[in-house]
Amino acid sequence: MSADVMIRPRTRAVPAGARRRRRRDPGRVLRLYIPLGMYLLFTLVPFYWMLVFALRPAGSNAPVPWPITFEHFETVWNDIGYAVFFKNSVIVGVWSLLCTTVIAVMGGYALARYRFRGRNLFMVVLLCTQFIPGAMMLIPLFSIFKTLGLINSLGSLVIADTVFNLPLSIILMSGFISAVPYTVEEAAMVDGCTRLRGFLAIVLPQLRPGLIAVGSFAFIHTWNNFLFALMFVSKQDSFTIPVGLSYTIGEYSADFGALAAGGVVAALPVVCVFAVIQRYLVHGISAGAVKG
Amino acid sequence: MKMKVAWAALAVLAVTATGCGSDSGSDAGSGKTTITFWDNNGGTRTPIYQELIKRFEAANPSIHVEYVGIPIASVQQKYDTAIAGGDTPDVGGVTTSYLANLTGQQALEPADDWLAKSPVNGKLAQSMLDSVRKTVPDGKLYMVPNTSNMDVIWYLKDKLKQEPQTWDEFFKDADELTKKPDEYGYTIRGGAGSIFQVLAEMYSYSGISEFFDASGKSTVNDPKNAEFLTKMAGLYKKDTPEADVTNDFPKMVAQFGTGKIAMMHHNLGSYNDHVKAHGKDNIGAFALPTGPGGKRTIVANPVDGFAVFKNSEHKDAAWKFVEFLVSHESNSYWNQQTGQIPANTEAQADPWVQELPHLKMAVDTLNDPNTQVVSPPYYLPQFSSITKAETEPLFQKVLLGQMKPQEFLDTLAQKLTDAQAEWKKATGG
Repeated sequence: MSADVMIRPRTRAVPAGARRRRRRDPGRVLRLYIPLGMYLLFTLVPFYWMLVFALRPAGSNAPVPWPITFEHFETVWNDIGYAVFFKNSVIVGVWSLLCTTVIAVMGGYALARYRFRGRNLFMVVLLCTQFIPGAMMLIPLFSIFKTLGLINSLGSLVIADTVFNLPLSIILMSGFISAVPYTVEEAAMVDGCTRLRGFLAIVLPQLRPGLIAVGSFAFIHTWNNFLFALMFVSKQDSFTIPVGLSYTIGEYSADFGALAAGGVVAALPVVCVFAVIQRYLVHGISAGAVKG
Repeated sequence: MKMKVAWAALAVLAVTATGCGSDSGSDAGSGKTTITFWDNNGGTRTPIYQELIKRFEAANPSIHVEYVGIPIASVQQKYDTAIAGGDTPDVGGVTTSYLANLTGQQALEPADDWLAKSPVNGKLAQSMLDSVRKTVPDGKLYMVPNTSNMDVIWYLKDKLKQEPQTWDEFFKDADELTKKPDEYGYTIRGGAGSIFQVLAEMYSYSGISEFFDASGKSTVNDPKNAEFLTKMAGLYKKDTPEADVTNDFPKMVAQFGTGKIAMMHHNLGSYNDHVKAHGKDNIGAFALPTGPGGKRTIVANPVDGFAVFKNSEHKDAAWKFVEFLVSHESNSYWNQQTGQIPANTEAQADPWVQELPHLKMAVDTLNDPNTQVVSPPYYLPQFSSITKAETEPLFQKVLLGQMKPQEFLDTLAQKLTDAQAEWKKATGG
């Protein structure tokens, strides 16, 4: 790194006149602000309407949520049972995240570091499992869980979601691990580390973006999974958020206020997760996508 | 420190997961019989059932009912999975629209013998019992009716001053009540669920009394039905919003809720939504108008009721619960809360039915000897797929002018005729 780079300030001072010119540059407005503004409008308007429906009183047609009411949130939380569904979703989501991440790291390490017969075939099989829709596996999984006594248990959801999350997670994770030079690990082993110790001390800290990417995908996929949550559970106090959300549309009537409030409650954790991890996520996805 | 917190959180999760995990067996020691009840339209009806279960358990302290609400959109898939996995409930909410599918899988227990000895025998509407029996090939009562529904035209009283009696008057009103750019006389259901509504409208216009003629050929493509469909499709975009082509019932009801639509065809079930949006005094309903023949013809809505499942280990307790649900008091309570037609004839005579004009009109229409009821072939295993996935997109083409009404009806009729022939062959009819 040259000396002038070392002393260069992090941001270059832009003269006030140049800043004004840049703001007035019609090309920049056309190229940047208008497309971005339209995209934001397109993306955020449905969310705005969701908030409007969730916060305005029933029967109101006002385009703004005024006067604000929390009656719909009370309905979904207390009457529909979101308090219980939310807790169940958190339990299933977090367990699925942990199980998926731990197993994906182990599987990904094996694929990245070992050369064994059938490795490529294994990768192809992993990819092929992504083409099998969950609905096709319902009956076999149901029979297995019934034999194991796991029907009506949140454990069945954790297992089923983890199994469906794993193929993509293992492939992604093997890409991240391949990106860490093996020579670094070898150096640790030369210094007396076991393979496990070397992995934990040297490789794992460098996998942070990958762990976050895989973990967040697992959590969000599990959080949104309606099919398994309904099919493997037949107990009112073991359902999760997606089932609760579908309660708001009945056979002949729909409570749009409750539907929107339920949507806000369901979306909030996912939005928060993305807000916190987005910088790791973008790096993680691109790293996993191009290396491996 | 961070590790300690993480381990503590993990331990809490593990404990909570285990707590929610296993199946309940808490009543085993108390000598209570536990039966499971699946509500086929879980959500808005949950508090009603919770109240009824409370009353039932108070009257029958030895039986505990475990309620499970199943979302209506997935109830068939849930039942199919449970039957395949051998894990069905003791009692389930069922409608005639998928009763044939369940009996085809030998999942239900006939209730004829129980009903014959029950105090509710003779107190359930004969038309609903017939409708249930007609749905299955062996004519047994696999489901005890709880309620039924009727198609009506909802309207805003501040817009429509006089209810039309014939379809011609209706088309005239729809045209006059349209005030562009944003007020419309009518809204068409062009998306999910469109075909049943179109069938109800066409038969009420043509006055045809059967879905199949004596040779087993569908009457759907009768020229009178095609004449009606041409008129109805002609309203699209002229007297209805353009977005109607994708209208399912929530969108349609939401649109009507804005107050920009004067009339809407739906059934009695959406009454509470309309009252919430417009107030009780501004909402009215009339039966589907008559056609040139002047004969009042209605297409029977699916009957909703309760079935005892064959795999139940507590069939007597399960029947006791079904009997309780269709008794006068319970049936009256349930239907008063939902605004539908009670199956129990004593409940039909209750004052609240007479006080709700739309419900009184529906009960009077159904009980009028001059009303002709057309029963759709719910017994056909393919009826649901034919009237939904296979023909709904074609109806959208009709609205968009990409398919002629007669061509659409010919296609629908052929599918129904084939399904009927197949069913007759399978049942030896």
